[in-house]
This record gives sequence, C-alpha cells and structure tokens, in this order.
Amino acid sequence: MRNLITWLSLAFFFLIHFTALSQTISGTIIDKNNSTIPGVSIYVEGTTIGTTSDIDGYYSLIIISGDVIGDSLTIVYSFVGFKPQQNRIANDPAANYTFDITLLEEIEMLEEFVVVGYGVQKKSDVTGAISSIKMNEINNLPITRIDQALQGKASGVQVSQTSGAPGEGIKVRIRGIGTINNNDPLYIVDGIPTKDIAGILSPEDIESMTVLKDAASAAIYGARAGNGVIIIKTKKGKQGKTSLSYNFYSGFQTHGALTPMTNTNEYIEIFNEAAAADGRDPIPDEIVPQLSDTDWMKEIFQTAIMQSHQLSLSGGDDKTTYLISGGYQQQDGIIHNSSYDRVNLRTSIATYLTDWLNLGVNITSSWSNRDIIGASGDGYGGNGGSVVRYAFFRTPPVPVYEPNGEFSDLPQFDGYSRAQLNTWFGDGYNPVGLAKKYDWSDKIFRTFGNLFADVQLMEGLNFRTDFGIDLSTGTEKRFNENWGTDGRINNPNSMYVNTELDFTYTWTNTLNYKKTFNEKHITSFLLGTEVIKNRNHGHIGNDRDFPDQSPNYRYLGNGLALNKSVSEFEDGWALLSVFSRVNYNYNNRFLVEAVIRTDGSSRFALGKRWGAFYSGSAGWNMHHEKFLKDVNWLSQMKLRASIGQTGNQEIRLYNYLSIIEDEYNYPIGGAMNIGYAVASFGNVNTTWETTTTYDLGLDLAFFDDRLSLITDYYWRYTTDMLIPVPLPPSGGSADPPFINAGEVLNRGLEVELFWQDTKKKLKYQIGGNIATLYNEVLSLSNGRPISAGRIDNGVYATLTEEGYSIGSFYLYEMEGIFQNELDIFTHAYQGPNIQPGDVKFKDQNGDNKINEKDKTHVGSPIPDLMYGLTMNFNRGAWDLSIFFQGVMGNEYYMQVNHDIEGFYRGFNVTKRYYDNRWTGEGTSDEYPRASWKATTNNKKPSTRFLEPASYFRLKNISLGYSFAFGENAGIKALRVYVSAQNLFTITNYPGLDPEMYDSDNLKTEKRSNPDLAAGIDWGTYPMPRIYTFGINIDL
Amino acid sequence: MKRKYNILFLLIILIALFPGCEKFLDEELKGERSDVQFFQTATDAELALTGIYNCLTFADADNRIWVFGDVASDDAAKGGNPGDQADIDRIDNFNIAADNGNLETVWAIYYEGVSRANKLLDNMDGIEMDGERKSQIIGEAKFLRAYYYFWLTNIFGDIPVHLTTPTPEEMQKAKSLRVDVFNNAIIPDLQDAATRLPASQSLSQAGRPSSFSATAFLAKSYLLMEDWANAENAANQVIQQGGYMLVNIYNMNFQLATKDNLESIFTVQHLAGQDPWLGNRLNQWFAPRAENGYGFNVPTQSFVDEFEKTAEEVYDPRLDYTVGRSGQPWFNDTVMFDPSWSPTGYMQKKYLQPLDEVPRTLKADGELNFIFLRYADVLLIMAEAQNEQGKTGDAVGYLNMIRKRARECYLYDENLPGYGTIPEGLLPDVEDQGQSYVRNAIRHERRVELGFEFQRFFDVIRYGENYANNAFNDKENFDYNTNKFFPIPQKEIDTNFEL
Repeated sequence: MRNLITWLSLAFFFLIHFTALSQTISGTIIDKNNSTIPGVSIYVEGTTIGTTSDIDGYYSLIIISGDVIGDSLTIVYSFVGFKPQQNRIANDPAANYTFDITLLEEIEMLEEFVVVGYGVQKKSDVTGAISSIKMNEINNLPITRIDQALQGKASGVQVSQTSGAPGEGIKVRIRGIGTINNNDPLYIVDGIPTKDIAGILSPEDIESMTVLKDAASAAIYGARAGNGVIIIKTKKGKQGKTSLSYNFYSGFQTHGALTPMTNTNEYIEIFNEAAAADGRDPIPDEIVPQLSDTDWMKEIFQTAIMQSHQLSLSGGDDKTTYLISGGYQQQDGIIHNSSYDRVNLRTSIATYLTDWLNLGVNITSSWSNRDIIGASGDGYGGNGGSVVRYAFFRTPPVPVYEPNGEFSDLPQFDGYSRAQLNTWFGDGYNPVGLAKKYDWSDKIFRTFGNLFADVQLMEGLNFRTDFGIDLSTGTEKRFNENWGTDGRINNPNSMYVNTELDFTYTWTNTLNYKKTFNEKHITSFLLGTEVIKNRNHGHIGNDRDFPDQSPNYRYLGNGLALNKSVSEFEDGWALLSVFSRVNYNYNNRFLVEAVIRTDGSSRFALGKRWGAFYSGSAGWNMHHEKFLKDVNWLSQMKLRASIGQTGNQEIRLYNYLSIIEDEYNYPIGGAMNIGYAVASFGNVNTTWETTTTYDLGLDLAFFDDRLSLITDYYWRYTTDMLIPVPLPPSGGSADPPFINAGEVLNRGLEVELFWQDTKKKLKYQIGGNIATLYNEVLSLSNGRPISAGRIDNGVYATLTEEGYSIGSFYLYEMEGIFQNELDIFTHAYQGPNIQPGDVKFKDQNGDNKINEKDKTHVGSPIPDLMYGLTMNFNRGAWDLSIFFQGVMGNEYYMQVNHDIEGFYRGFNVTKRYYDNRWTGEGTSDEYPRASWKATTNNKKPSTRFLEPASYFRLKNISLGYSFAFGENAGIKALRVYVSAQNLFTITNYPGLDPEMYDSDNLKTEKRSNPDLAAGIDWGTYPMPRIYTFGINIDL
Repeated sequence: MKRKYNILFLLIILIALFPGCEKFLDEELKGERSDVQFFQTATDAELALTGIYNCLTFADADNRIWVFGDVASDDAAKGGNPGDQADIDRIDNFNIAADNGNLETVWAIYYEGVSRANKLLDNMDGIEMDGERKSQIIGEAKFLRAYYYFWLTNIFGDIPVHLTTPTPEEMQKAKSLRVDVFNNAIIPDLQDAATRLPASQSLSQAGRPSSFSATAFLAKSYLLMEDWANAENAANQVIQQGGYMLVNIYNMNFQLATKDNLESIFTVQHLAGQDPWLGNRLNQWFAPRAENGYGFNVPTQSFVDEFEKTAEEVYDPRLDYTVGRSGQPWFNDTVMFDPSWSPTGYMQKKYLQPLDEVPRTLKADGELNFIFLRYADVLLIMAEAQNEQGKTGDAVGYLNMIRKRARECYLYDENLPGYGTIPEGLLPDVEDQGQSYVRNAIRHERRVELGFEFQRFFDVIRYGENYANNAFNDKENFDYNTNKFFPIPQKEIDTNFEL
C-alpha cells in the first residue's frame, strides 16, 4: 500500500516539477531462472523516492535534481523472499543508467550460510558433518511438534514416535544409538540449550534447523552433545515494511489399514475346535442368536478433526526489527477421548541501541493440554493399558453397549452362568468403554526465551552475552473411574494429581574475534563460558473412594479414603563450562578448525565432575585449486575430515548416593507401620561418558549447483559408557548405580543428493537422503549382558550383549510346526505333552533338548537403512510436493500376538491365524493348532512373534495454488493447498503401525532406557491418515 | 566509546571469576535421605526394620512361594484358566528352565529382604537408642533374615550368602552349600534372636517374633537338616515354656476373627485398604473366577484322598476346612461349591475370605495371615524328631495331640453336622506299632494338618527319593536329584559370575 501511495505522490510531484532537471535509472528485474519479477520495490536509500517494477519486471526511477543531497546515492531493490540488492551511483542529474538486476532468492542465500555452534559459518567453510533443513521444506506438514519435521529430511537422523496419539513423545536418534543411557539429542533454540522441545515452538516459528552430526561440529557443546545437536533458529523480523501473515489449515484424520480379526461365527468355530482338542465344553449353538458381532477395531476409531491458525506480524527499520506471532493448534485423536491443544505466543525484538551494541529478546510462551488414553503397552507402565490392545482382545460376540445404554463389561447372556460366559467370551475390558472412561490430562505452561546483548568491542571483536530461561509448570491429573460389572474396574476409584515446576537458566558469554591477514589468511577465534542451573519442584497428591464420580467432583479431598497421600519433591542439577574454538581459512582453499571444551557436572561426585572434550577438523575446497578451475561442470568439490569428542552425563541425579525411600510398609498388630529401605545404590566413581567420532566427508556440486551431493562416512565410538550395570539380584533389588563400563560402535554412510532445474516453466527440485547404520556393543562391564524388554512376568525379549546391537532380540527360533508324531519324536525334546500342530523350535546348541540355552540373537529393532525422498514441482501458480520416507532391515516383536495368534485366553484371534492355522498334517508350517493346553509350548518367546518392520510411506503429498494480485489489491500473496499425510504405506508389518518405537511399559521397567527394549508392540495407537486444506496469506 | 571499555572490563572480571565457581556444582539431595544421613535415630531403626518386614507380604503378587510349596507338589495343580501363567504350569510339570519367571521373582523378593536386614544390622552400632529395644530390633532383623534364607535354601538349595551389605564387587559371590546356609546363617541368627527377643509379644505387636518364635523356627530348621536331637530339644523348649496351645477348632487358624491366636507362632500379616497395598492378594489368586478370583493352586484328588474317613463316610473335618468340594457349602452356607470352578473339581480355602468380608470387587485386598509356623507344626516336629531317634512311644503322644484336636472339632464347631459328638471311629489315636509305622503316620498327619501351608514339596523332598518318586509318580519329568531344588534364576546367572 505504502508503495502505491509513494508512487502516486511521486507522480504528482513529478508533474509539478516537470521542468526540473532529472536523472532516470531504468532496467528489468529478473530472477536466477531469467523470469521477470513484477512488484519489486526500487527506492533511493534514506528517501521516499521510489517505484515498483511492472508486470514485465521493467522499472524506471526518476530522481529530480536537488531532492537527494550528497555526491552519491544508493538505489535499493527489494522484494519479499529475495535478497535485497544495492547499487551505488553518482548523484549526477546528467547521468541516466540502465541496470538489469538479477535478484537471488533468500532461500539460496540461506544455503550459503549455515548456523553452527555459537555462530554462523559460510557453508563452503564448514568442515564438520552437518545437515540443514529449511522451513519451506516442512511448510505443508500438519505437525504439532517441531521435531517431527526432521523425519526423512536429514540423512542419519531417525525420528519415531511411541504411538500415534496426539501430542505423544518423539524419539530422535542421530547416527544411531550410542549408549545404553540417554540417546536424545541436545536442542539449541536461539542459543539456549534444552533436552526437551515439546511445546516450545510451533513449526511456523522456525526458520531453519541444523543437525550437527559429527563430534567436530558438536564438540563446542561438549557437555551434552554426545547424541548430536539440533540447532533451531526461529524467524525474526526483517528490515522493511510491516508484513502480516496468516497461515491456516484444517483437516480430518482417519485410521489406516486395520488388522482383520475373526467375526462371531469364525470365533465360535475356532473356540469349539480348541475346546474339542482340549476336552472342554464347546459354546452351545443355542446361545448364538443372542450374540452380537462387534468389530472392535472399528469401534474404537473415529474420524477426527485437526486445525491450526498462526498469525504473525513482523517488520523493522534499519535499527530495530520485531516479530510477534501467535497460534492455536488443535488435534483430536483418531481414538475416542484423546486430543492435543496448544496456544503459543512469541515475541522477538532486536535493536541496535548504538552502532556497536545490539540488544534483543526472544520470548515464547505456550500452553498445551493433552488428553491422554492408554496408547501403548499393557498397563505395566501405569497407563491402564493400550486401548488398541483391548480392541484386539475383546471377542466379537459381546456388544459395545448393554440394552440399558451402559458399556458392556463381562459378557451377559440369558440362561448362562458368568463363569461359563467368561470362559467362552473372555473377561477383557471393553475398549470403547476403556477409552471413553479415561480422564487423564497433562497441562503444561512453558515460557522459553532469552535476552542478549552483542557488543562490538572493536572491528572484528564481538562480545555476546545470552541469558536464557526455560520455565515450565505442569499439572498432570488422572481420575480412575470405577465402572464395569459389579464395579470391578478401578475399585475403589482413585485420583492422582502431580503439579511440577521446572526452571532452568542458562547464561552464556562468548568473545568472538575475526581477522583477515593479507586477504588470504582468514582466522576466527571464539572463547566462551556457560553456566546452566536447573531446579525441579513438585507435589503429588493421591485420593480414593470418591462417593460421587461426576466430573465436577473429581478434585483432591473429595475422596472418602482416610489414607490420602501427599508428597513433595525437589531436585536440581548444574553444569559449568568453558570452551574455545579456532578457525583458520587459507584463501578459501584450506580450512582448519579446533575446539576444546571443559565441562563440570553436578551429577558426579566431587573429584569426578570435570571432563574435557577436544576436536579438530579440516576441509579442502578442491574446486578453488588450479587443476579444477577449468572444469566448468564442477561447481564444488570439498573434502572434509574430522575427529572429535563429546560427552554424556544423562544419568539420574545424585547417582553417587545410595538413596533411602519410603512406602516399604508393613502392618504390625493390625496397624500400618511405615517402612524405609534403600531404593537405589550409589557409586562415587562415576564420571563422564565420551563419544569419539571420526568422519570423512565429500561435498560435490555440478552444473552450476544444479546437482549437489553430500556424503559422509563415520565411525562413532562411545567409551566409558554410563550403564546401570545389572547387579546380581542376590545383592538386593535396589536400582543399580550407573557406572562407566562398556563401548559401543555406530558406523554408517550418509548420502544427501539434491537436483534442481527449470525446464521451460516447470521448476523442480528432487532431494533424497539415505543412511546406513551399523550398531554393535563392543564391550559391556565384564561381558555381562543386559536383558530387557519385559514381555511377561520375568520374561524378557532383548539381550544387549557384546558383539550384537543394543536391544538385540534374543529369542527361540521357530523352525516350523510339528506335522506328526514322528516329527516330534525325531526332533530335539521340547517338553512333555507336545502334539502335532505345535510349534517346533530350533535346537541351536545341538544338545537335543530345547531350553533357554537355545535362545539366540535373531534381529534388531534398529534399521539398517533409513531414507527420505522429497520432490517439489512448481509451474506458474501451481506447486506440488511429495515426500516419501522409510526404513529397512529392522524387526519388531509383536507381544500382542502372544494372545491373538493362537488360542490362549478368552481373546479374539486374527483372521490371519484363523485362515492359516494347523488343522492336520500339511495344513500349516507357520501357525500352530488351536489349543489352550498347548500354550506352554506355542507361546514361548520366539521368532514366531518377530515381524519385519521395514516400511515405505508416503508421508506427505500436497498441491497448492498461488493467486496473483494486482498492485493495489492490498494483499501480497495468497496460496491455498490441499495435502494428505500417511496416504499409503508399503510394509509387511502386521501391526497397525510400523512407525511405533517403544511402549509406555518402559516407564516402570527398571533400567528403562527405551533403546534397550525398543520395538515391542503391545498393540499400539497408530499414526493417523490426515487430509488437510490450508491457506497462507501475506499482507 | 568509554562505555564500551567498561563492558570489556566487566567481561574480563566475569571470565576471571569463572573457574572459582566449583561450588556452583554442589547439589544437595532434598526430600530424601541418603544411606549416610539415615540410620541415626531410634525412629530410623524402626523405619528400616519395617522395611525388612515389607518383603514378607503377599500384597506382592510376585511372592509365589506357594508355587514351589504347593503347586510343584502332589497336593496341588496350577488351576486358573488354561494357558494363563504358563510358567507355573512348567513348574507343576517339572519342565523348568532357568528363565522361568517364578524363579526370578521369588529369588529377588527374598534376597531383597536379606539385603534390607543386612543394611540395618550393619548400621545398628551407630544408632543411639534405648538398649533393650535396640537389642530386640537386632533380634527381629536376624529372625527375618533367617526367614528369607530359609525359603531361599529350601527352594534353591545351595545359594550365595551375604551377612553384611556387599559392595557391587562383593555381590559376585559363589554358592554356599545348603548345610552351610543353615549352619552359618539361619541357625546362628535364630539362636541370637532367641536371646534378644521377648518371651512373648502382645496382640498389639502381632506379627513380631518372640523368643519362642525363634526357638520354634530353630526346631523347624533342625528338622530340615535332619538334626533330630537339636530339633527335639528346641521343640521341647517351645512345648514346655512357650505358652502355646492348639485352638479348639482347627479352622480358627484360617478365619479373620480368630487370627493371631495362641496357636500362631509366626505369621505374615496383612491389612486391607492401604496404599501402597498391604492386603493379601492370595484371596484373589486362589478364589474361583466366579467370585472375581483367578482360581490358582487347586487341590488334587490325591490330596483329598489323603484325608481319613469313617466307615460311615464321615471325613476328617480338616478336609472341608481346607478344601471346597462338590456337595459342600462354599463359605457361610450361601452358595454351594461348584466343581466346575476348578479343573480338578476342588479349591483350597485357607487364604480365602467369604464375600461378606471382602467384596468381589476388592478381591485382592484380603486380610488373612500366612501362617509360617503354628503350634501344631511344632508338635509334629517333636513327634518326628523323637521317632527318628527311636523314642517312638513318646512321639505317638505328640502325634495324637494333633489328631485329638482334629476330631474334637466336632465338640466345638456348631457348623459341623452332628456337632456335639465325635463320629464313631473318626481319627483314632495312632498306636505305637514301630518306628516305621509311626514315621508313615507322622508323614500322613503333616500332609493333612499342614496342607496348603506351602510345605508339602519340601517335606516330600526331605522324605527322600523313594517317597518323592512315589508321591510325584504322575509327574513324568520329575527326577529327584535334578528337581529336589529349583534352578537358580537366569538373571542371577547372567550377573553373578561366581556361580
């Protein structure tokens, strides 16, 4: 608008001064692909004199003599999305100029620079292994968490989710699994480190994300960088006029493919077959007319909506820039009663107070609410069990509702006793009732931000201080409603409220010096200090026996229980660091970098607190060498090599102390006595874990950067691994302390390939990345393996052992099905009562009997290969983007199949089992006979339940149309789009979702590192299929 | 410009101050105490002592000594739904691998009890408190440590023994022979406990052992070691001075209103309505599915057949006190027992409460004790110890005290049909027809008197290979030498390289 007014007034002005002397500057403005750009602002800096380019990109600027004072004037060409250009000319009324200008897109400018630790580097100067992701690549994804945006976009970065429930946690693994303790990367948001970015930012707030993969680039964050670092740069206001943008999308979500289960007739058939085999009473025919035929899998799902609104206002002048944004996101779950809502507000202001002092503030506040239901696991983790699991279990003859409208619980049919009905139709929970009765929410209010001051002390020398805060307060509240037949479920009703305040502050000071000598020797030097302190304080209250279960009465204190409980906790940690980095660049040909960082951590005992981490890297820009100067098709060739160390201290607080806890009570004389006992053993000798990474990289670009290739090969050794080494149970059951013992190797090849070109009017980009991963435990404390992944009482599915990957599945190997008596007789002895139709296990050690010594390593949940493929097409007003993502070579253990792929309890069975089960010699070599008695043998944890988890998924496809507007329409850009997510998946995985990673069960499992027991599927809430419609408007 | 150099100056100070901030890294433990800060006062000692008791309860469903004592024996079958708890089935059939979940859970719970006792005993010296109570606390801790080792060595045979808190390195520990577990751990602990504990505990202290509890436990330990003279001596002390008696009605031991009676010597206590749970979960595990139970640990025909009956088919009353069977009322006469509840047609009753005491919905929150030692057991130990030493005549006297109480239930229990008169020929006194005859009579009496008190398997093993092979003749996998003890759990083997 302002341009228009300027134009008009200028025209008016021009008419008045018709006779005055004037200078004309004219020309055509084009982009890199020779397309003309209309609407570019052209103005004389420091004045109101200006114009805009017309539809053909042509412009003509007339400067009246005397309007501009001085010897020279600067003409600025600026357009949203492009880098502004300037031309300095003499202020001479006699001189007319013709300037044809090529504006470069801002995105390409961003590619020139990448964000690195405590600074920015020219991409050509980078010597470490880095992947960067631009916001425009994730624009159309309907995601609620920013870490989801990393999936498939950066090589060597694995992103997975515990379940598809809205707001569910994300696991990000960079270059594999380096340790048995915490493998989460460190996030740096505008300079402030955090291990948890849930809810901090909305995806629209992000300008770029940079993944520091090798130790050389991450070592500057030494302390907590062992698992890689992700630097997030948020959007900032830009110099220029105020712009307002509004992004909206709304859509609906549905479930993907469901596992076919048997219907009532099939269920009765197979039940009666098992009953006949075991000599039990069959389900009588007379009851059949009373039975329902419920498809429980369908019953738990719904079509759910999601929407997002983001409004942002930004602008600035040559001194001050600002950005204010606000957003609201809401996602209902595809299973009843689960949802996620978030409101977020952000302010970012920076100002040059003087020419040497830049001050700024970034503050984000968000409020989120998650309505939670059991989404994974069997309830062992305290969530009440996955709703999906119960949908698998519940038999089809039982209806969803009783005639009185209540949820059905134990089966009730006229003329039969409860014991009979329970035996025939099971006594599992009604999954629809279970989902709808959940009353569990987690509300988090979080404020995250920083204040900074950047002082230019002298040319090339800057001092920057950053003070960041991360304040999060949350309330988790859960009411376990009493319901079901005779009130058998959650009796008595109970309630839990946990209120927690977590506060971390970070204060970073850096001194940065840059100097170029003789134009060839470019050096820079960084020295910094950092202090981080955390405090966590909270209260937990429990109450029981609420006489009134109505929602408005579900507050602590209303229960009738005399022994309500309340507890309070407080803990904290601190880190103290000094770090330094030196860069040397010889004429842009040879690049060298060295980093040292010393960290002190409060998690270790006095004398064990400090760790020092070093790294060095070098690069050679070969395309600047004479022998490649004339090779026109090669635009870049850089060789990189690095070696470096990073640390890890993510163990429980106060690990050096043996801790006494309460709740070990006992009644004496009919009265409860409080008891205390040692709950965890301490170790004073524990210190830093170190990861040393060796990385070799080659960056190539061809044909004027149209084709680029980044490749890396790395070896990543973790030493002094922090392990809670399992102690013999004969020494007591308290949690073992973390000690430094063990080594892990991860190695792999990473390739990122990018091709962009314009063919006639079609502009397209194709980017792919692929990474291999090999993970091996080189040593564990005294060779003691660690079993984990509880799949039944005292039964474990994984064994982490020297020579195998972390969390490797350790199971019996199924060889087939015994077809006849001779088969059983000639095979190794498996125990008594084995009959034809039972599962045959491989005798691994050849001792002619099957026992625990025949378990062996049979697979791993860690993929061998991960890949992503993104394609963007642009033609005229249309844009299309397609994004595929997948993993290969991993396996998951389907624990839920213990109960639904055989006839073991009063549970439904899969259609696959029904169709293919053994019913006589030669009928099946995969699925055993239906028999309860055969459970002992057939349910043994074996490869029978191990399933391939490779998948190839169309994560996103979106099609957009941008409307063209005239200059005075008052609207700069309007784009509408439709998109679909998870539209199809190619996989052999029989569960609902191959993207699941771990389960809620791990929350209470001792040594609960998810990576020791990943890939165990108890029936998991799947990812939704999402269809959205969206609008982006810029004013 | 001047301001700029002020900032530079400030910065240099900041960086210079920095390395002196080691204190910044000090984080104190809050809201909890470490083992260094704990163990100071009498209260701390009592809290830690309760922590040792905590491992006794059946509020923890993983406390499955019944799987070994009953299900593995000829008295009981697994019960429950077919296929449910397959690992219990594997123990019933002696198809037992080291990774059987029941091995690990019992092992872990009982060793945790040992560990808590060791920790308190290690720290008692430094605690300032009243000397008499201090000595009692040591006595109780030692009694409990003996209790945990007693179960561990009976189930697993040769096992590692710790009598002080081990460091992680010391946790790498070789097995001690079973006889050494008794001689070096159980017996000395009980002897010391007997000198420290009071002669009796009031009802308000029910659940704590007395000096005679320790002596009775000594008798039981000597019995397991077949040290007949010491067993007789200890049992005799309890009989002469302990002040215990057989209650009139056998069943009073297994009823809520009459628990902790004069026959009880040491019991595991339970209390309903607590958080964390302190109720007896066996009330759910052993109850029929029809009453919201799980129906495990059900009596076999062989067990039922062990009970004597008169010519008029009047059974030893202990049968119906112990077992639910067809044609008999199932608690309080309101419901008849339905044999379809159990795969064997029988269910045991000793840990079950009627629905009017514990409603269906709170099934797992029972309040009955587990009676580890009662006076009847001491009398039978006395009888056996004497008989094995050739004092058969004296032994018969003690044996007949048990039989007399059993038949005289007819004089006291008005619920018995024909109450008031002892049925003709019911449970006559055993006569001294020689050592071997009386030995069999005692073994028979132990089986019916102490049925479903988690003892049968250990008795059978104690009686020797011939007896065991005969008793377990329907368990085709059973091999006396392999199976007289259960395998040490895989988790221990994986972590303790001294094994």
